[in-house]
Amino acid sequence: MLKLLWLIPALPLASSLLLILTQGRLPRAAVAALGVGSVGLAALIAFAIAAGFDMGTTYSQHLWQWFAIGSLQPGFSFYLDGLSLVMLLVVTGVGFLIHLYASAYMHPDPDYSRFFASMNLFLAAMLVLVLADNLLLLYLGWEGVGLCSYLLIGFWYQDPANGAAARKAFVITRVGDTAMAIGLFLLVREFGTLDIQQVLSAAPERWPDGSTLATACALLLLGGAVGKSAQLPLQNWLPDAMAGPTPVSALIHAATMVTAGVYLIARTHDLFLLAPAAQTLVAVVGVLTLLLAGYSALAQTDIKRILAYSTISQIGYMFLALGVGAWSAGIFHLVTHAFFKALLFLSAGSLILALHHQQDIRAMGGLYRRTPLLFGCFLVGSACLAALPLTSGFFSKEPILAQAWESSALLWLGALLGAGLTALYSFRLMFVVFFGPLQTPPQPLDMPPTIKARMPAVLLVLALLSLFGGALSLPLDGVLPATEAHPPMLVEAVGIGVPLLGVYLAYHFYLARPERLTQLLKFRGSRRLQILAQSGGGFDWLYDRFLRTPFIWLAKTNRDDAADLISRGTAGLSRYSHQLLAETQNGQLRWYASLMGLGLAFLIGMGVLT
Amino acid sequence: MRELSAQLQPLWPLAAYFLAVLLLVLFILGVSHLLGERHRERATGEPFESGIVHIGDTHIRFSTPYFLMAILFVIFDLEAAFIYAYAISFRASGWTGYVEILVFILILLAALVYLWRLGGLDWGPKGQARKRLAPLQGHSRVLEGEAPPTRPNRE
Amino acid sequence: MTADALFSLLPLILLALTAVGLVLLIGFYRNLQLSFALAMGGLLLALVSLLPVAGVLPQQATPLLIMDSYALFFSGLTLVTALLLLPLCHEHWRRQTSLNDEFYLLFLLAVMGALVLVASNHFVSLFLGLELLSLPLVIMVGYPFKPGFTPSLEAAVKYLVLSGAASAMLLFGIALIYLHSGTLAFAPLEPGLIRLPGPQNPLLLTGLILALAGIAFKLSLVPFHFWTPDVYQGAPLPATALLATLAKGALFALLLRFYLLSEGYLIGPLVWALTLIAIASMLAGNLLALLQDNLKRLLAYSSIGHFGYLLVALLAVSQSLGTALAVEAVSYYLVAYLFSTLAAFAVLVRLSGEDREAETLEDCRGLFWRHPWLATTLTLAMLSLAGIPLTIGFVGKFYIFAAAVEESLWLVLLVVVIASGIGLFYYLRVILMMTHQDAGPESDEASAPHWSSHTVTGILVAATLWFGVYPAPLITLIRHLTLAVN
Repeated sequence: MLKLLWLIPALPLASSLLLILTQGRLPRAAVAALGVGSVGLAALIAFAIAAGFDMGTTYSQHLWQWFAIGSLQPGFSFYLDGLSLVMLLVVTGVGFLIHLYASAYMHPDPDYSRFFASMNLFLAAMLVLVLADNLLLLYLGWEGVGLCSYLLIGFWYQDPANGAAARKAFVITRVGDTAMAIGLFLLVREFGTLDIQQVLSAAPERWPDGSTLATACALLLLGGAVGKSAQLPLQNWLPDAMAGPTPVSALIHAATMVTAGVYLIARTHDLFLLAPAAQTLVAVVGVLTLLLAGYSALAQTDIKRILAYSTISQIGYMFLALGVGAWSAGIFHLVTHAFFKALLFLSAGSLILALHHQQDIRAMGGLYRRTPLLFGCFLVGSACLAALPLTSGFFSKEPILAQAWESSALLWLGALLGAGLTALYSFRLMFVVFFGPLQTPPQPLDMPPTIKARMPAVLLVLALLSLFGGALSLPLDGVLPATEAHPPMLVEAVGIGVPLLGVYLAYHFYLARPERLTQLLKFRGSRRLQILAQSGGGFDWLYDRFLRTPFIWLAKTNRDDAADLISRGTAGLSRYSHQLLAETQNGQLRWYASLMGLGLAFLIGMGVLT
Repeated sequence: MRELSAQLQPLWPLAAYFLAVLLLVLFILGVSHLLGERHRERATGEPFESGIVHIGDTHIRFSTPYFLMAILFVIFDLEAAFIYAYAISFRASGWTGYVEILVFILILLAALVYLWRLGGLDWGPKGQARKRLAPLQGHSRVLEGEAPPTRPNRE
Repeated sequence: MTADALFSLLPLILLALTAVGLVLLIGFYRNLQLSFALAMGGLLLALVSLLPVAGVLPQQATPLLIMDSYALFFSGLTLVTALLLLPLCHEHWRRQTSLNDEFYLLFLLAVMGALVLVASNHFVSLFLGLELLSLPLVIMVGYPFKPGFTPSLEAAVKYLVLSGAASAMLLFGIALIYLHSGTLAFAPLEPGLIRLPGPQNPLLLTGLILALAGIAFKLSLVPFHFWTPDVYQGAPLPATALLATLAKGALFALLLRFYLLSEGYLIGPLVWALTLIAIASMLAGNLLALLQDNLKRLLAYSSIGHFGYLLVALLAVSQSLGTALAVEAVSYYLVAYLFSTLAAFAVLVRLSGEDREAETLEDCRGLFWRHPWLATTLTLAMLSLAGIPLTIGFVGKFYIFAAAVEESLWLVLLVVVIASGIGLFYYLRVILMMTHQDAGPESDEASAPHWSSHTVTGILVAATLWFGVYPAPLITLIRHLTLAVN
């Protein structure tokens, strides 16, 4: 069974290529069968492999040598251990569900085939990323998912705003990718190889704890992770990335791609263990991000942007977990987050479809009777997100808080505050959308029933996974260092209580006594705080002011520099000589003959007299 | 310097010749300029026709076959001259030479047949009309009396 | 003359027979299709006959002609070019209602002239070949595109007069060289009969430069290039194509042989004159083409520049480093130039209609949207002429570079770089024009093209790409065949 490992990325890739080559000439049913079927098959193989996999062992599959330069000999080789197995299952499983959902959701779109071509390509790249046994192949997948993210954010390219959002995402993640590339160069220089296992085993022998080089490598890799996972300070592309279709947001910008940074750090955790400073920075970045994103989510009015900020904030938790050494907890949170965030996004997608592409929550309200299924799904998702007891989110977030407490009280406090904020904004969303007076009545979907039925089916499966995903146990022992934290009962109790408090505050301000909120907003300064939150911390403004404007100014100032003069002078000179020479071509025979004679006389004179 | 003059040594007759030509031309032009009478009257610009005032246009039509015949004659005459040259070395060149001249004559014959078939040897307008097969229509039009083509203004 | 020597002239004899046969055929049964078939058959036979001829090499057939592997290679190249060119001529003439069979006859004669040239190692055969090539060309240039079309007449008169002047220069030069060396065969010029001081013998130099001028005229090198654009433009497309490819290629092969056999590279002033001509040709040719809107004239100017590049390879011949690289460079570059230029002309011929030839840049506007394949062909041709990688032209230019670097001709190299840069502009301009999306002139290809011109276009595209990507087989062939020149 393990021999079939290569098929898992190959199937979506083949399907993608087929869809690209047929250029949308296939009927919709065939496109859906290809697009969803290939992923489903890949997921089946993944589960079959997982069933037969002897936990605690590893397996590598060498397909072919990519190239060889000296000792650097990266191959197309896959590496399977507990960690990559978990990622494999999440990517194929959740990916399959979202593809199935999308086959219904995107059904009316004219570019159905292009959509699935990009989605399958994304999945192939993501699987390469997860399975890669060397950092170069990982980087290939890393850039591949970046490309697909770009393609899918700008999927509806007729609207220039979507194109701008796609470019923004591409450029900002490129900043992180550059850092990561430099990190890879550094590793090659130091170890002469990019094979992950070799690097990780060689690093502790070569570098003492806390050595500068180890820190530099870890920091550069962190740069890449921060860009891809939308963490501070490269987080501001993710909310704009919601311009893509909702299944894209669910798959790429919530469940899988944005967690690649977490995977990268977990994969190279030995490097981070050698660089405590870098690891601490991971935790600090995580906490700051989760606070900022949670705060920003409070003031958003677009349903997808709220979810986007919540994604940023949840990945912040994962970073915090990695930073404080709760490795398994971070990955566990990644898994549960994939379930419940996919659930939330897909429910939001159904909601948006039902409300004729209305995304503003202020135009929603009172929907809990009209759309009971969506209400239920949202309730489950929000409960998981807020980490209410007995949900999967609770089981994954609790160890993080506990480990943070062990590590530093300050980090714990930040995480706790973040938990409160999470509960507050997620239930604000619940109450505003589903309770209160009815604003926009939902419409039945105009779609064949067999296709339409796929959406609620997927939602139900995801809801079940979200509810009971906490009971899963991940085969991470032996891959990641195990840590146990036993904080005092009081700390745990506070950790359970704060989210409940958040829920109560949301109920109080948004459902029971909305006028209190209005009063609160009348205070001086609170308006500014609101604007700050709406703009996601003002990072766009900051970058625009301090990076873009000076750069444009510099470019404009330098418009007529000396280098230009040379090129323009050359062009002018050529033009002038052309006109001069063209004068000699006047069509007169006598003129030609005399010029020839003159030239001959000159040449003979030169030849004889010199 | 001496070297240069030594190099130029063989060139001096050439230079002298060139100079002489120049002088001669100048001399002729100058003398006719000095001696020639100058007058400008009504008939000065007209072509000299032995005292008879000319009538009609000088652009008259030549009979085409005459022109063609003349050209063909010149060509074949020239080719025939080669055969004379061969005749001198008839014995010396032996059979090889004989075969070679045979090939030459056969090729000439083929060309003659071509001309004959094309109507190039037909005399008179009747034959011309029968075989209007001349390949270069641009020429024949001019020869038929149309205005000669003017140089188009280009560049 | 031995039987083997006679046998080595088989290609020439076959072509001559075909020509005589064609004369008779036209005389008795005038049919354009049939004439075309006969001419093609003769050319093909001549090409195939090179195979058995290769077995008896080298042969000095009479004092005039030498059939060695160098002559074999260039004979092959000439015949292949002719075989690719003739279908284009047919494509052009079969659209006309006028009687144009004689064009094929003249074509065959011109090819014979080229074959004589590439096998010549004697001034007499040089002159014979040159005139056999030039005189049919004058008539072909004068062929009216349609009845009453006069620019071709103008072009023919210009070519006749100037070409006559150039022939006179060449003859005078040959006479002076003979005065010095006492033989008309190509032989080392030192020592001569008249033992005047050193190689600076002014009569010899004058003779050499006069002869060079005569040849430079036919190759349209500066300052003997003035006729080129006018004649290219006025002549019908097939004649222009013949002038640009076959005539020049064969003559350059001869120039190289003469340069090597006469050891002209030892004569300082001659090398200087060649250097000047090369530099002037590269610059003037490319500059003149810069803003040219007429494609025929553009190709004329570009050919001036290309023969300037070829001269650079000639200059790279020297006593110290041997001749192999320069000969290889010239051979490869010639192949590249011939194929690329033919491809460009093929597109022009295909685009021309019954009433007018496609010759302006405007005719190419939006070609990509009207005739994607033709546009691709022209694009390839332009890229190859500009020397962009993955085309045959790049390999050719690379060779020129390598040869010049080997010989440390830095000044000339600098000019090559500058000229190539300028050249890029106008070649890409043509491509840009083809991508314009606004509708250009209506589709010109009125009648369906003849299958043979389809084939030719395909072969040219394939060769341009194939030898650009994988030049090794051609290089091996050239190496194998052109070593014998010394």
